[in-house]
Amino acid sequence: MLSRKPPQVCAEGWFVVWGPGPKGWFVVWGPGPKGWFVVWGPGPKRAACCAIDALVMSAAGSDGILSSMERSIAALRAGFRQRFEAAETEQALRDENAKILGKKGELTSLLRQLGDAPPESRKAIGELVNALRREVEASFEQRLFAIARDKRDKDLNAPPFDLTLPGRTPAPLGHPHPISRVRDEIIDVLVSLGFAVHDGPEVEVEENNFAKLGFPPDHPATDMQDSFWVRVEPGAGEGPVSARTLLRTHTSNVQIRAMTTHPPPMAFIAPGVVYRRDDDATHSPMFHQIECFLIDYQVSLAHLKGVLAEFAERFFGSGTPIRLRPSYFPFVEPGAEVDVGCPFCKRPDGRRAGCSVCKGTGWIEILGCGMVHPVVFESCGLDPEIWTGFAFGMGVERVAIVRYGIPDIRLFFENDPRFLAQF
Amino acid sequence: MKASVRWLRELCPQLPDDPKGIADRLTAAGLEVEGSEEFGRSADSCVVASVVSTRPHPSRSGLRLVTVDQGKSQQELVCGAPNVPDAGGLVVLAPLGSHLPAKGITIERRSIAGVASEGMLCSEAELGLGDDGSGLLVLPPASARPGARLADALPASRDTILEIAVTPNRPDGLGHLGLAREAAALFALPFAPPAPKDPPRTLESDLAEFVSLTVEDGERCPLYAGAVLLDVRVAPSPLEIRWRLASLGVRAISNVVDVTNLVMLEFGHPMHAFDLDKVRGGAIVVRRAMAREKLRTLDGADRELAPDDLVICDGGGPSALAGIMGGGDSEITPATQRVLLECAYFDPPGIRRSARRHSLHTESSHRFERGVDWADTRVVLARAAAWISTLTGATAITPARVVEAKALTRRTVALRHNRLSALLGTTVAHGDAVRVLERLGFALRASEPGVDLWEAPSFRPDVSREVDLIEEVGRVRGYDAIPATLPRVRASRDAGPRQAIARRAREAAVAAGLSEAVTYAFVSPKELQAVGAPNATVTLLNPLTEERSVMRTSLLPGLLRVLAQARRHGERDARLFTVGALFLSSGASLPDERLGLTVVVAGERTAWLSKPQRVDVWDAKGIAVDIVFRLLRRPVSVLSAPASERPKALHPRGAAWILADGTRVGHLGPLHPDVADAFEIDDTPMVVEIDLAAAHALGPSPTRFTLLPRFPAVARDLAIVVRDDVPAGDVEQTAREVAAGLAERVTLFDRFVGGSIPAGHASIALHVVYRAADRTLTDAEVDERHARVVAALESRFGATLRT
Repeated sequence: MLSRKPPQVCAEGWFVVWGPGPKGWFVVWGPGPKGWFVVWGPGPKRAACCAIDALVMSAAGSDGILSSMERSIAALRAGFRQRFEAAETEQALRDENAKILGKKGELTSLLRQLGDAPPESRKAIGELVNALRREVEASFEQRLFAIARDKRDKDLNAPPFDLTLPGRTPAPLGHPHPISRVRDEIIDVLVSLGFAVHDGPEVEVEENNFAKLGFPPDHPATDMQDSFWVRVEPGAGEGPVSARTLLRTHTSNVQIRAMTTHPPPMAFIAPGVVYRRDDDATHSPMFHQIECFLIDYQVSLAHLKGVLAEFAERFFGSGTPIRLRPSYFPFVEPGAEVDVGCPFCKRPDGRRAGCSVCKGTGWIEILGCGMVHPVVFESCGLDPEIWTGFAFGMGVERVAIVRYGIPDIRLFFENDPRFLAQF
Repeated sequence: MKASVRWLRELCPQLPDDPKGIADRLTAAGLEVEGSEEFGRSADSCVVASVVSTRPHPSRSGLRLVTVDQGKSQQELVCGAPNVPDAGGLVVLAPLGSHLPAKGITIERRSIAGVASEGMLCSEAELGLGDDGSGLLVLPPASARPGARLADALPASRDTILEIAVTPNRPDGLGHLGLAREAAALFALPFAPPAPKDPPRTLESDLAEFVSLTVEDGERCPLYAGAVLLDVRVAPSPLEIRWRLASLGVRAISNVVDVTNLVMLEFGHPMHAFDLDKVRGGAIVVRRAMAREKLRTLDGADRELAPDDLVICDGGGPSALAGIMGGGDSEITPATQRVLLECAYFDPPGIRRSARRHSLHTESSHRFERGVDWADTRVVLARAAAWISTLTGATAITPARVVEAKALTRRTVALRHNRLSALLGTTVAHGDAVRVLERLGFALRASEPGVDLWEAPSFRPDVSREVDLIEEVGRVRGYDAIPATLPRVRASRDAGPRQAIARRAREAAVAAGLSEAVTYAFVSPKELQAVGAPNATVTLLNPLTEERSVMRTSLLPGLLRVLAQARRHGERDARLFTVGALFLSSGASLPDERLGLTVVVAGERTAWLSKPQRVDVWDAKGIAVDIVFRLLRRPVSVLSAPASERPKALHPRGAAWILADGTRVGHLGPLHPDVADAFEIDDTPMVVEIDLAAAHALGPSPTRFTLLPRFPAVARDLAIVVRDDVPAGDVEQTAREVAAGLAERVTLFDRFVGGSIPAGHASIALHVVYRAADRTLTDAEVDERHARVVAALESRFGATLRT
């Protein structure tokens, strides 16, 4: 756009303003024959001054002696502005301009005739012709600008687009499964706290799923996790009972694998698919868990609470309280279940009113946790006097049920397109 | 476990009369109260009434008009019960306006066969106090004053029942005594279990004169005790006992059986009562079963026993499955006169194995497999004997006999005080810790600076290590008292890429406009066969259904099921994908869990503001190229698969490999119509399957920056007509080869048939961009090369240039 600086005075009564552009461009105002006058065009500051000089001079020379050339010049001068004004389009204007300034244009042929003029007047007429040429050029640029401006104004004032029509997208909108959405959010929070992401097999030996985690053989604790036992082909003559391979009932097999292959300290999360032999509105035979595991020197229950509180704060929102209730999982001691303040009935004062989701309690149970049981360290060859740690694990479906208000866990696995499209 | 608040307060009278308060404290300490219910709520509004007189109903033969005295006045009611007592008998009246929640009725004034009746005389079932609906509840004579509220007159009619989720480590929570002890500790109240009273009638004698007790397997039965009662009169239990059992969900049977159940609910220690006259040979032997021995249990089932089953035998063979269920032959009947009471401690894992083997889960096995209190055997027997003697007038033989086949000892555990504070992350005063443990029944045996030696009580089999004591202190103090502190997080190394691969694949597929389905990893062998997938490597030994009995070797069946299901809901268009593990043979003991991504696109595709069109194989190609390129950032190509190697699930016309940098990473194509039929899909979905493990194995993208062109490009379009069986890609490739070196890009931008194009031919249009890296190309150079491109197409494909 034009410079905001005050216009500079060039010749008397003329003002020049420069603006940006590859080679700069200029605008000139001045008193023309028909009142105020604007010249616009590309070029350096010098070009603008030349244009003005020509205008001033051509005005001065109009009183000269009439010759046929002079008459032609006068006629041209008298008519070219109307001719330019009459051109409605850029092309028409350029055609008109070519008739005057082109190779066979009227002004060009006048210049050719200059050789026939008496030498003493040649210079004066030449100057007259050149002045006129500059005048024509300036007028052409001015009209060109006006036509362009006019065209843009028309475009700007055309009727608005119909934005009620649908938007055009490169591909239809895809939807991540709600389980993936929630899992990735949980992972992102814990990764941002510094935990690495680990992985483990879904088909696992009993030892890693139960024994090394401190589940005593033939103990009712295994009832909490009714298992699918499997046979893996080719089994080297293993019978169904001695094979003792199963679909993992929790992602805690990953902590055993980590501790038996890597030296501590360690801090990781293990998301994954797990299987339990249950099938009803609140249990699916296949579901997803994320376990968070940390061992180091002098880790305490207060540290576990710290990570849980931070997780609740970041995942469920600022000011979400947590509550630990003692509970039992064979691979942790002390063990606890964790409730978070119900996100659905939170009042402005931060208290919970109680609602159907939290069954009026203001709390929702979301995960189990505890300090890594010394038995687990020992089964992995680590000294529980040196290392302590914590683990917590949550069901992804459970969290998604809470977050989205999904009434039946089976909906996750039916994958109805109308269900998927909601996420 | 259902717990009676009234009973808890009988055992620990100082507990507050505040069921909600007790429930909250129990929950906060790990005995989660999942719910509570009010027992006998109708007793709040119903009153005791005495029968004054009875006369027949004037018009209806089955009904009577009963005049009762309900304290303030007398009134006449219409009654249909068969057992209206004689004058002076006590019954329960539901007055006008009272509510009977058990039946969901509120008493209103009404007329029965022309006689007005203002109130109702109630049965036990109507009052919600039991399941007897056969006649009026008749209270014992002189047990209450007419006009008194039932809840006041007979307090046992009213209770609050807590439903407690007792975790498997706390067998002591499966009896009221243990719960009362826990509650007392939580409220910091003194607690002393009630001392057993002597039976009112005893006979000192050697128990062996009545029955001999022998334990042959001391490992499985370390402790076996018996008591004998003579002159038992089996009869229904009094109301209080019946109501208490009803409130706790146990059916009242007879005084003898009811007492054994109540004692179990009190101590958490199951008992068994035998009809001693049916104990053959007067001998009890506890041993393991012999192979193929048989036993008919109380539930009427004939069971074949395994050598691992522990059985209680008499002279004629097995008569009970130890700790799980009695046999039908020796059960207590109304004719029983002599009773043998059994109280034992069985090895928990053995009970569990037997219970699972016989698919029996009983109140008894539930407690024994968790580990009952082995030290309370004498007390439990004495309590039961005294109670039965009181109720039935029986004579108890003293002393009872206890066979100790294996010595059981209490555990001693050291607790370092600084370890306690370090693990909890908060400073605990030593005195606090001591008080908590003592209230829970732990005994301080020795104390050194910084270390206490605690003896765990016999009812806490879960406590064997220091950390268990730390948990006891922590949970009773409450976890709210522990601060929240963020730890130093030192992340693990070598996390493995699998999670990241799966996530990136999902994100790429969603970006390609697909919706994610999560399908079960177990499928049926038939489905795998239908899609031509490898046979299952992993077979479930205890599947829920045959439909879900093997682990998938292909993601396709699961996704096709989703599509078929969607179609049944009327959703025809689907753009679905799933990412998950395939369970393939690895040759090792665990399978190769190979990550795959499968896409199914079906129905119609919509373009902007135009008529929807059926999806076709080029949708599959576009999606495949898009996803693989997003994942790998490597050149992706698609190559028709030779018939011999065609994936069996795909249509021969469209089956193709997906190649990334020339390496096969998957396949695509229309679904084979036979497969579509097998899944009841009535059109042809498009399928893309990507082996994410193979894709990942290609390693990081080799992307390198190349200098941006500095010289202008010259673009030329050309259109040729060729026979319509000429692959457009071959035309494009030929143009690319001939123009190579001078052409920056060759793009196929149009192919059509019909119109002015001769039949059997197609028009193919290419856009060629010429540019040199080091100079501005001259028109002559471009013209010359472009002419060579045209000439090559003419000679190789018989093409004619369209002008």
